[in-house]
Amino acid sequence: MHSPRIAVSGLHRGENPQPGASIVRSLRRRFPNAFIVGLVYDALESGIYAEDGPDVVYPMPYPTSGATAFLQRLDSILEKSPVDYLIPTLDAEIELLVHLEEALTERGLRTYLPDKEMLSHRAKNHLPELAKTCGVAVPDTRPVYDIAEALAVAAECGYPLMVKGQYYDAKMVSTEQALFAAVFKLFSEWGAPAILQRCVRGPEFNALGLGDGEGGIVGLCTIRKTIISNQGKGLGGITVLDPRLDEFCTRLIRALRWRGPFEIEAMLDEARGEYVLIEINPRFPAWVDFPSMLGINFPAALVQMMDVDRKPAPLPRCAPGHFYVRHQVEVAGHIEQLAALSTSADFEALDMARSLEGAAPSAPTPFPIEMGDDGASPSNGSARRHAH
Amino acid sequence: MSTPLSDLMLNDRGFVFDPASGETFQLNPTGLRIVRLLQSGLSHDAALTQMVSEFEVDEHTAQRDFSDFLENAVRLGWRIE
Repeated sequence: MHSPRIAVSGLHRGENPQPGASIVRSLRRRFPNAFIVGLVYDALESGIYAEDGPDVVYPMPYPTSGATAFLQRLDSILEKSPVDYLIPTLDAEIELLVHLEEALTERGLRTYLPDKEMLSHRAKNHLPELAKTCGVAVPDTRPVYDIAEALAVAAECGYPLMVKGQYYDAKMVSTEQALFAAVFKLFSEWGAPAILQRCVRGPEFNALGLGDGEGGIVGLCTIRKTIISNQGKGLGGITVLDPRLDEFCTRLIRALRWRGPFEIEAMLDEARGEYVLIEINPRFPAWVDFPSMLGINFPAALVQMMDVDRKPAPLPRCAPGHFYVRHQVEVAGHIEQLAALSTSADFEALDMARSLEGAAPSAPTPFPIEMGDDGASPSNGSARRHAH
Repeated sequence: MSTPLSDLMLNDRGFVFDPASGETFQLNPTGLRIVRLLQSGLSHDAALTQMVSEFEVDEHTAQRDFSDFLENAVRLGWRIE
């Protein structure tokens, strides 16, 4: 398996980074000759333009467009750029793809994902039941389906509270007005329910791993977050090795019989002196390339698991005391690349090697840009603004 | 929740990393010596005797400082065996 062909989504690495670009970097470390197809939802996903990024990029319809649209686009992509493996990295995608296992298999696409039941059991609104089953602590967590219910729950639990979307976004609120605004925003962006969770004081820990689908863990890397952004994102972390945290994770994965990548978010509750479960993400985190730098390559192990579909040898643990600090850099693109990915009337691949030739400083400016077949071209005097 | 003293990672300048909690600490030279002696497997009494001889203090003062340090260490989340 020296040149695997792998499709990866979620390539943005801005303020709120997605895991895809890190996964691509990790895959390149192990498989320098891999052919990597980037599946993107926005032409400005920064990982598209990274030096070690994908070989070719295709725009995708949002998962909320439904299975038919998603599969149709996938079929067109497979015709142009066949791939053997698919690594989805966005929660909303995974929610869709767990219903499409058969359709993906028919297309010869290998994945390593949880089933519908596993995915549902780790959903934010089911955390209390899961925690009870495993004997782990969880902060008081309540799903709310309308504003009135949110206000009633807040009155019962007290402030401050964490307000979370089903898939993304988390915000701490301390007043009724802030709660109203946060819940309203989440409903409009992601729909109901929103999740209210009692705030816990203490340090935050994350565990990255791979479940074998039988209750076992193939690899685990645990960190303490050392730098946290205003949005609660870990901008830095240090590897730790605490048997109590390992046991905490083992219990959860055993109960879920989790299959595939996961990230467990926990806090050490200072008041209770014990770990509490904050959430479980059904994918690798954005810092997945950090253990790869230490020689523990989770994405490469995932490809191996997809390939042989059997339990590989356990990955070694990351020794405690290694840390990462997130380092943001600018990546350069060319308007021609943006045009190729922004054309909505017909989709086309953005071949990164070819497009870079066109973006060389000596090349003539590639105007006019063909805008597709919707009549909006420079020649007939109409234009439209892309919504980025 | 506490980390055995023997698990602490430290350097010669007294910088300490707790591998379980991920926290870092700074020890003064006396504290560093106490941790090193206990990590080497000495009993409390033997470590105290060693401190008296190395730091040229009377036993009463050494005993008090030694006990203060251990109390502080427990507060930091370290387990003294």
